[in-house]
Amino acid sequence: MEATTFLPIGMGLIVLGAGLGIGKFAASAAESIARQPEAAPEITAAVNLPLFLLEGVAIIAEALTFAMLFFGS
Amino acid sequence: MKPIAGTEHSSGSVLDKVGDFIIHHISNSDIHHPIIHLPNILGIDFSVTKHVLMLWLTAIIVGTIVIFPVRSYVSKGAGKSPTGLANALEAIVSFLRDSVIKPNVGSKAVDTWAPLILSFFFFILVANGLGLVPIFDTIGALARFVFGVESSDEHSFANLLLHGGATATGNFVVTSALASITFLSIIVAGTKTHGFIVHWKNLVPSGLAWPVYIILIPIEIISMFVKPFALTMRLAANMTGGHIAILAILSFIPIFAEVFQTSFAGFGIAVFSVPIASALIGLEIIVTLVQAYVFTLLSAVFIGMAINVHH
Repeated sequence: MEATTFLPIGMGLIVLGAGLGIGKFAASAAESIARQPEAAPEITAAVNLPLFLLEGVAIIAEALTFAMLFFGS
Repeated sequence: MKPIAGTEHSSGSVLDKVGDFIIHHISNSDIHHPIIHLPNILGIDFSVTKHVLMLWLTAIIVGTIVIFPVRSYVSKGAGKSPTGLANALEAIVSFLRDSVIKPNVGSKAVDTWAPLILSFFFFILVANGLGLVPIFDTIGALARFVFGVESSDEHSFANLLLHGGATATGNFVVTSALASITFLSIIVAGTKTHGFIVHWKNLVPSGLAWPVYIILIPIEIISMFVKPFALTMRLAANMTGGHIAILAILSFIPIFAEVFQTSFAGFGIAVFSVPIASALIGLEIIVTLVQAYVFTLLSAVFIGMAINVHH
């Protein structure tokens, strides 16, 4: 068994983690906008930045996994 | 049938060829076969590769669609409302200035940093968008199938152009150059507001017990470099990832035809993979906009963190 055998599973795990995180963001943002519709711009602004940071971590992990898959073996 | 771009040299099964084709499509052109040969100056190779060509195109397009409407608006005199393209530009510029740059950088420094951050936005947006337009692939396909240029002809300009048409921002070198500008402007912004020494002191909060600093100072120094690194990787990986996904889904067609030894299997999977690839192109259009916005937003946030220090 090669070292790169389990890398696709790792890519799937990254997608799972990022999906859970982004889902949680979207759910709580939607809830708080439903509770306080007049605060929608502030809530969107507050959600945006951590959302992009999370997305960045996930995409960096994916890119590194992909690089290992192609150039690591 | 021959593959579209230079994968003829790789022998072996379709699976190997498909992998080579994807890597060939997303990576920069070979340094020994650039589109335009230029001499080495001071040990730096100035030859024009496909990503450099795309950068030039981006610069020309951004220059045309930004400079000329603004010039005509300025020459019209103050107090007149903008028309046409200048109107569209004004909507984007005022949105970014009022809801992205001003809340992060602060109302005092907004006029200093808005030009830089807006340049980032327009440049990245146009570079991302050009990567989705298959201009050169169309030219190459025309040259191959209409004018009969052989794919093995290394000196045909159309074949060299076929190496173009990639996303310039999908190259880590391009995005790291953009992120280094952000990195330097963070330092410049801090130095301009607080002075050189206070800017570096501001990296860590003051008034803590001394053992905390042993951990805190290395962390802050690492985070100083991680910020532009994350910007680099995010933009490049997003732009590359979409292309890889589209090409991988499209390459199911030759893979299925090879595995089942009949071209009908290829047609069968094409019914599914072509619509999925088209939908991914739609997703890519959203990603193009979002990534330009994210780079803009994060640059503004990082510059603002150096200006408005609060611990």
